[in-house]
Order: sequence, then C-alpha cells, then structure tokens
Amino acid sequence: MFLSVGVRFEANVEALNMVETAGNYSKHRRVPYLVEEDGKLKTVYVPALSGESLAHAYQEHLVREALGLGLSVCDDCRRNEFYKSMNKVHLKKKVNPIPDDPRDIEIAIVRSCVVEDVGGFLYAEKPPVRRSSAFQVSYALPVKSVALFATSEPQLHARHAQMDTSSKKGNASEQMIYYVETGTALYGFTFNLDLDAIGVSAITSEPILDENELKIRREAAMRALFRMLSSAQFGAKLSRFFPVGGITEVAVAVTEHPFVVTSPIYDDYIARTERRLKVLEGLGENYLFTVATGEKVPEEALKEAVDYLREQGAF
Amino acid sequence: MVPLTFFLKVTMRPTGIVALRALPQSKMRTALRYVPPTTLIGAIAYPLHHLSGNRAETVYDRKTFKSTADGVKNLFEWVTVKTIGKPRLYGALLKINTVYRGKAQSAVTSFPSAVMYGSGDFTITAVYLVNEEKLSKGPYTMKDLERAAWGITRLGSRESVVSVENVETGKAEISEASSAETSYAFPFKGFEVQGRGTLQSVVDWRSGIGDYSSAKRIVMFYPEGTVSVRGKLSVTTVGGETLVLAP
Ligand SMILES: [Zn+2]
Repeated sequence: MFLSVGVRFEANVEALNMVETAGNYSKHRRVPYLVEEDGKLKTVYVPALSGESLAHAYQEHLVREALGLGLSVCDDCRRNEFYKSMNKVHLKKKVNPIPDDPRDIEIAIVRSCVVEDVGGFLYAEKPPVRRSSAFQVSYALPVKSVALFATSEPQLHARHAQMDTSSKKGNASEQMIYYVETGTALYGFTFNLDLDAIGVSAITSEPILDENELKIRREAAMRALFRMLSSAQFGAKLSRFFPVGGITEVAVAVTEHPFVVTSPIYDDYIARTERRLKVLEGLGENYLFTVATGEKVPEEALKEAVDYLREQGAF
Repeated sequence: MVPLTFFLKVTMRPTGIVALRALPQSKMRTALRYVPPTTLIGAIAYPLHHLSGNRAETVYDRKTFKSTADGVKNLFEWVTVKTIGKPRLYGALLKINTVYRGKAQSAVTSFPSAVMYGSGDFTITAVYLVNEEKLSKGPYTMKDLERAAWGITRLGSRESVVSVENVETGKAEISEASSAETSYAFPFKGFEVQGRGTLQSVVDWRSGIGDYSSAKRIVMFYPEGTVSVRGKLSVTTVGGETLVLAP
C-alpha cells in the first residue's frame, strides 16, 4: 500500500528553517520564485522549508512512536542523531564483527532500528549497502497563487547582560542585538509513504521480519506522520517562534501502488488528484481519497486513512 | 515496412524542487538543470518493480554493484524529456554543525537543486519509446508500464517529488528526416540547431545504470521552447509532437 498526503498550513512569524548566520543575523531558508515579465525572468525570494528539515522531524516522531510500541531503535537514532550506520564506527554498535555479505549487513541494521528501516541508510564502506527511504517529502513552499504575499522579515531582539560599572570594559555592551528572519506564508508540501517497503530487504525483496512485526512497524510509521501533523512539531526554533496558524487542508490518497497527490502548492490540487485517481480505478485499482477542508479537521481525514489501511490488512 | 513502437508520454508537475546530482548518490555540489535519461529510467523502474513486489534496489554481482533500474533499461528504445519553464539552479549556503566522534564540527556547504517554482506552470513531460520485443519476453505488460507511469513519484533524489498529471499511450512511427522542429531533448551530435537551449553532458543510459564511475557520456541538447534541427535525423511523432532520436 502507498500513502500520499498533500498538506497546506498557515504559518505566521515562523523561524522553522534557518540557514546561514552572518554576524548577528540568522537567515530563513528561501527559494527563488520565478516570475516572467515581458519575456524576462524576475526572481522573488520566498521563505521555504526544506524536505530535509521535514524528514528530520518525521524521523524524530518515528523514534518516539516506535519506542512507545516497544520496537527497536538504535542508540544513535534514539538521540535523534540520524547517522544511519554511515560507517564502520556506527555500524559496529549494531553488529560486531561486521559481516562481509551486504545482505547480512542490511538484515542487522533493519532488525535493530526502525528509523533506518523506514528512513533508509547508506553504509559507505566496502561493500556499500544502501536502502532508500520508504518515505519521501517535498520542500514546503508558499502556495503559488499567494506566494508573492509571502514575506521574510527580520525581527530585532536584544539579549541583556548584567554588569556593574566596575566591570564595564571598553567595548563590552550591556545589550546584544540580533536579528531573526521570520517567514509568513501559506505553505504546501507533499509527503509519501511506501508501506510495502517497510521491513523488506532492498537487496533480496524478502521480508526481514515476521508479519506481526511488519504490521506494527507500518503502524508506527503512520502514527509518526499523524503525530507530526497533529502536533505541528516540525521545523526549528519552536520554543520561541512557534508559528501562529496551523494546518488548513490535507488531502490523503491511499493506493495499492505508488501514486502522488498533486502538490498543494497548486490551487486545483484536490480536483486534479481526484480525476487522476479515477484513471487508476479504470486500470482496476482500489483506492481511498479523503480531504479535510473547512468542516472536517485534518485528524479526521488521517484517521480515515488509518482505518482504511487496517481494513486492507496493512496493520 | 515502417517500424512502429509503443510509446508512453508522461506529463508531470514538480513540487517545486528537483534535485539532480551530477554524480548520482553523491552530495557533490553540482546539480543538473534538466532531467537526464538515467533519472527517467530510474523514476519508472521504482513503480514498475512495485507492481511485481520486487523491492531490490542494488544488484550485487561479485565486485560490481548495479542499480536494479539497469534491468529495466532494455525495455526502452529511447527516452527523452521536455521541460516547460526555465529552471534555475539554486542552493542556499548552509552551516552544518555536527557532533562527531565526540567533537563538535562546523562546516559551510550548499546542495543546489533545480528550482521549478514560479508564477508560470512548470511541467516536465517524459517520453518512453518501448521495445516491444523485450517487453514481450519479460514479466511486464504494456498495462503494467502504463500503471507504472502513473506511479512515478520522484525525479532524482531527496525532495524531488513529482505528481503525474497525464499519461498518453499509443504507437509511434520512426522515420528518417533532414529537418525537424522539437521541444524534446536530443543527442547533440552532428546536427545543426537553430534556437535556444542548454547543452548538458549526461550518462548514456544504454551503457548501464548504477555504476557511473566509468560510464559513457553523451551530450544532450535541452531546448528552451522549440528549436529546429537539421541533419541526418531519425525522428518520430508522439501525440502530435516530434522527437529527434539518437542517430
Ligand atoms: Zn538507527
């Protein structure tokens, strides 16, 4: 089974994805938005969140959900340090001595860590062993029709130091000013999850775990997504820049084989996705499509997807 | 007799970013602006394998490792792509702080991607010409290929999620010509071209997919809009559009 979710969320004054710092200025991630004017390309920079940032958040939720269900997560991933068995030093914590056969390496990693099973890994030694992530995330970008209204604005902040007159030196200051660039936009992103990839070898196609454990891991992967969206715990600086706003729309498609909802950055994404799913039906495939706009809340739509997956025997 | 071949024409919408590493699976700083043929094959290989329950990504044959997309490449006579909208390569500078082996390290890096995001609608249309003989000898049917086309999820790595908006199938006729007008990428070899576009050196997918250290490369011309090509051409028409094939 394959799940694809389009998410629209409103975020005002957020610092969810910061990139470089220049002096006392920390900059929000931005991407060029291309506008054609009289045959010439003009570029406007709009705030954005990388897929990498969303993927990190998803995996943090996966750690918690997996541990909550009594599943194994390796020590690195437990600390939310996703090294993913990248070399001998990290792999040795899971299996020692390290086997020669790539198949045995993959089995050892998948058995000992749900995050690397679902999120993939690349063991960059000899022999190299790679496993693609079972989930995919796009960038979160401002919805196209209102992208030009998106802003990234620096906010001035001051940090105070307490000092008495005797300790005051020439250039030490009592106030340290700094700027945090914040974004405001209606964002859209796409999240896909290939449930059939979980617990199955990317070398032999054979299941690495028993059916029962496969089902619990698939459920953990779904719960992590549910939790991430429902709690709005993704991105950085949430302690002081928790964005004002929230999820405004979700569109969830569950199909037998890969299928991606049209990106919610386009205004017609729900209607287009529906029409495209009709074509799949014509090819003899069952699916579930549910959207939460207006009345229905995102959790209700996600729960429908969970119930459908359970009905279909995914977990 | 005029050779006829099945085609798949797949129209995709990007989610804004397409990350195409010049060296696949590397974090190297260069990125490609346009989709190379190897990526098109890899993109359809994944949903195609999904249909048969094949999860294998890497084939280990003694000391060589190949992508399983390699096993699918023979199903295609030719693959090419049309891009509407001019992508822009962009990568913000990133400061990465890591704690590694007990030490805190800091580095500045950048992972550029092709940004396909703007007021205009960017679309990527891939065309796959199917080798019917190879298809008939394998486990897949034309219907499987069509379903796989609808199941393309990503072009390239990481956040390059796309949605397939339309799939057209039919029969294409391959013929000789001395001139053609095309919007699709073609091998730039001994042709005279009029119009704007970008030359990009890409891996010749026909020589193998997965191990690129010594792979043969070809130069492809990616037109911006439509260009006219002159020379000794092999051409075909797919849903009313002309493609220039490899000589
Ligand atoms: Zn782990």
